[in-house]
This record gives sequence, structure tokens and C-alpha cells, in this order.
Amino acid sequence: MNQEINKLQELLARVQRNAALPRTLVSAREPSAPLHVAPPVAFATPAYVPPKAEFTADEVFFESEPPPPAPDYVLPEPAVQASASLDASVDELLLEDPFPSVPPGPSYNEVLEDRAPHAAASSSRPLDHEDDVSGVVAISEFAEEPEELLEDDIVEMTASEAAALPIANHALDELSFDDVGMDHQPAAPASDDEPPASSSRSKIAGTMDEALARAAEQIQLEEGREVPLKTPPPESGPQAAVALPTGMHAPLSPDIEELLEADILQTAGVRAAVPTAEQLGQTIDLEEPRGPSLELDQRAAFGSEPLQEDLPTEELEVTLPGREFGGGYQEDLMPPPEARQDLDAHRQRVGDDSIPPPPESLAQYPSPQSAVQSSGFAPVAAPSSVTTDSYSESVSTVTIDAPPNTEFAPELLARPDIGPSPVAKFIRTEAPRPKTFMELLDSSLALGSD
Amino acid sequence: MSLNFDPSYALEFDFGRGQIRMANASERVVVPCDALLALCQGASEDAVRDFGRRLGTEAGRVMNDRLGEAWQASLETVLEHLGGELALMGLGSLGLERWGHALVLSISHSPLGSTSDLLLGSVLEGAMQRSFGRDTVAIKLMRDDQKVRFLMAGHAGARKAGDWLAEGVAWGDVLSRLASRGAS
Repeated sequence: MNQEINKLQELLARVQRNAALPRTLVSAREPSAPLHVAPPVAFATPAYVPPKAEFTADEVFFESEPPPPAPDYVLPEPAVQASASLDASVDELLLEDPFPSVPPGPSYNEVLEDRAPHAAASSSRPLDHEDDVSGVVAISEFAEEPEELLEDDIVEMTASEAAALPIANHALDELSFDDVGMDHQPAAPASDDEPPASSSRSKIAGTMDEALARAAEQIQLEEGREVPLKTPPPESGPQAAVALPTGMHAPLSPDIEELLEADILQTAGVRAAVPTAEQLGQTIDLEEPRGPSLELDQRAAFGSEPLQEDLPTEELEVTLPGREFGGGYQEDLMPPPEARQDLDAHRQRVGDDSIPPPPESLAQYPSPQSAVQSSGFAPVAAPSSVTTDSYSESVSTVTIDAPPNTEFAPELLARPDIGPSPVAKFIRTEAPRPKTFMELLDSSLALGSD
Repeated sequence: MSLNFDPSYALEFDFGRGQIRMANASERVVVPCDALLALCQGASEDAVRDFGRRLGTEAGRVMNDRLGEAWQASLETVLEHLGGELALMGLGSLGLERWGHALVLSISHSPLGSTSDLLLGSVLEGAMQRSFGRDTVAIKLMRDDQKVRFLMAGHAGARKAGDWLAEGVAWGDVLSRLASRGAS
């Protein structure tokens, strides 16, 4: 027991001595140690854990606190050479104080030359956190960890064993500064079988049953998921192009020029009965017209002059009948219903209900009545002769010879015959212009003299 | 003969002597119009006629002095110079009309008014007498607010025209009759 106490006291003293060492030289390891031989695994290692062989939970005199859970595995002890894995340039950048308050200590070379036998155990003055104005102390602190190891804790490893160790990260940005030693529970290695939590892609189903099961689960999840109201589902979206079987393709757009050319050729009589293959493939069946059929047909009554029969049926231009059809009418035309009452009244007034007179066109003169009307009232009949006589070019009179069978002949008054008489007289005297005032005066004095 | 009428320095006012002289003429007196009219209205017709003839004779004489040979002067020249002399007298603006063979002289814008037609006619008669050596009679054909027309005729023609005008024949018809009778 005393031996152990002594040993602990010695260990404590050593720890205190090591703590007094200047930290700037902690990282100064043997530069001869190759970096690749001893990877800097010490940065990732947790705090020092006493081996079981030396300390047990029962032997610890700190009984008030429960013993820390023993790790299931023992991390490989960092080799002494591991601290040398730091890049010397990085150490210089990190450890050099840009604003030193005290004179800088000796350089690495000087320290190495002076204290090479002491190795890193006895170095220059210690470096506190307050002295480090640069704020970068993590590397030096981690680099200081191996110094706290006991000699018994140092495990000598061969080159083959070092190679068997997992390769540590060399890059500074990949260093893990997590305090993994607090709980002495190293992070469990990530399982390669499970996808990361941030991954949105699921694993590919190995079998068809598994795929079906996943699809069913997905459907159930989607059914239970509440769809946001503000994001309506897309009505249509891009669809995957389905490859058509070989030999089939979508119909091409019709070429207007080719169609027009085909129509022109057909009209001109060239290949009229042979439609092109493109036309056959793009023929569209039109629906039957639903409205009343409009046909421009020539009536038989007007068929004295043949129309142009050689015109194609789609031609809508029809030659109108000539002037001989002007004013013609059909004999079977009936008067409009609103005029029938007036017509009946007229027939009753005339007294000829049996034989309806044929209607007369307004463009024709009324036909003279053959029989004298018995009522004595003679309508105004067209005169038998109309003559125009004029005494001058500007004055005209009309003389109407009334028919002999009319009782009341119209009386027309004409202006009396007036012979031409002078209305105005304009006399223009052609007096010669006198050359001198004397001549005019003499001619004027001669006026009125007999 | 196309000598233009030049009224420059036609009148000369001598303030020291209190006289107004006309170029190539005797002294002038500037009198008010109404005073002259009152004098003419109070005088006999012969006195007014004589007074007017004397004024015209003076104007004809000056015109002859300017033109030299007035009997060869054209209508425009006589009108320009005689009208200029009458304008210097302040009697109005002279005009000339030719109605066939009849010579009609007109005076417009006369300050003397309608009461001085006898005077104005007499002025024209004196000018014709002095300039051309012809005895003429100025018969007033018409008168309006601005213009008075005188037919320059002989004694026979003046008598007929006077009679027709007295009968109420329009002055145009008078001229026509004189022209027709003279032509026939």
C-alpha cells in the first residue's frame, strides 16, 4: 500500500512537473520521426484512462463518485512519435505569438540542440492560455496529451502494428474536436447498411416482395399525410417519353405548299384521280351539314338560256339571267295574306268576283278596258295620243286628246300665245375716243344743236 | 404732252407782309367757307356767276401757263392740271366723264356744299373760256352728298337738257336723248 502511495505521489509529482513545462516545446518532437510512420492519432484519442491492470474501481480512493464506465475496448495508445505528426510549419504558425509580451524563447533548433536528451519532458517555460493571444491553443493542448502519459502507459508498437492501425486524418479541417473522452463512449461506427438520416433516397429493394411491401407502406404514408392547401397538386406535368415501337412514328405536320401544289395539279387535270400518299394519310372526314341545304338551282321557268354547265360544282358564281327575265313573275304566286282583304273589297266593289283580273306589273301600262263601265265613272285613262307642242324652246304645252267615250275630260289650261317682244334694249354707242380735250369739248358743245 | 402737275411751292406765305401768294399768280385770301357762302347767297345769280367765272378764268390761265399749248392737251393732262389748280383753290376734286360725245365734269368733296353749285359751274365755264376759248354752259345733271356732275354743252344743247331735266327726265336719259338726237 505504501508502495502504491509512493508511486502515486511520484506520478503526481511527475504530472506537476510536466504541467510546468513550456507548452511551446511540447510539439517539438524528434523531427527525424517520419510523419507517415506515426500518424497523429493522439489528437483523436480521448483523455487518459488508466489501465485496468494498475487501477480498478475498487482501488480508487475517490469513493464518493461512481467509477466511470469502463470502455469496452482499449484505444491504441498513441505512440510518442504520434505527436510529431503535426506539421512543423503549422506548429510555427499556431504557436508563434504575433505579439509576444515576453522575449521569445529559443527556437526549435536551439531547444533541440540543447535539450535533445531530455526529449519533450523537460522543455522551456510553460505556456498558459492567457499567454496565447492568438487564441489557437487546441492543437497545443491536444499535442500536450501524450506528455501526460505514464511511462507504463506507453506501448511500443512495431511498424507492422502501426500500419495495422486505422489511418488517422492528416488534414486539420478533418480533425474532430469533440470531447469524446467525457463519456468515454466513442462514437459508434456508422452502419454501412443503413442510409444516412438526411438521405431522401431509399434503398433499392432486393426482391420483388420487398419492393411491393415498401410501395404499400409508401401508399399508406401518403394517404395519411395531410396535403397542404396552398400547394395544389399539378394537373399536368412532364411525362416520360414513351418510346414507340420500331416502325411507328407520329404523323408529320402537313406541308401546306405540297397540299396547295397537289390541289393545283388536281384542278389542272394532272394527277386528278391519284391523290398523294400524304393526302391519303391525312384525310379528315367532315361531318354532314346540319343546316338546311343551300342549292343554287336554276328554275325551269327561267331556263330559256342555258347556264354555264361546265363550271365545277364548288363554283358559287352563277350567271344571272338576262334582261328578258326582268319584270317576270310566276303565275301561281298568291297575294300576301294582309292584302287579301283589300283585294276582296276591291273585287266586291268592282263587281267582278268570278274572274279575278291578273295582276299587272308596275312597269307596264294598264291594259285598256274593253267594256264601258256601267256606273258612268270613268277612271283616268291613258290618253290615246299625247303631243308636245312648244312655241319656243323654253315653253312647252301639252295637248291631250281625251278618248271619245269619256264623259269628264280633263281640262288643261295653257298660256296664251304671246309673240316675241323686246324686253330690254341695250344700245352701245361706239364713240371714238378723242385724242385731245379740245375735241371732246367741241363734240360736247355740238350736242343738242340742230 | 404729259407734263405732270407739281404743286410744290405753289403757295407762298409771307408772314412779314401778311400776304399769301400763288405761284405765277396774284395774291390769295384765305376766307372761311361759310362767309363765302353767305356772300354768294346774298348776291345775285349774275354776280355769283361772274364771281365764279373770274375764279375759273384765273385757273385756266395758270393751267395754260403750265401747259403752254392747252388746246393740244389730252383729257388726262387737262384733268390733272385743271384739277390741280382747283384743288389749290380749295374748291374740291375735279373729275371727268365721257358719255358718248358728251363731256361731263364732276366736282366732289367740295367744302361749299350744295348751295355753291352755281358758283362751281361758273368756275368751270370760266376755265373753259380761258383755256380753250370756248363759250360753254355747265348744266348741273345731278347732285348727291359728295359729287356734283355738270354737262359741258353749248347753248342749244344746254337749253334742251335744261328743259328735260325740268321735266323730270333722268340725267341718263338726257344724255341719251342728246346723244340720239345728235346722232340722228
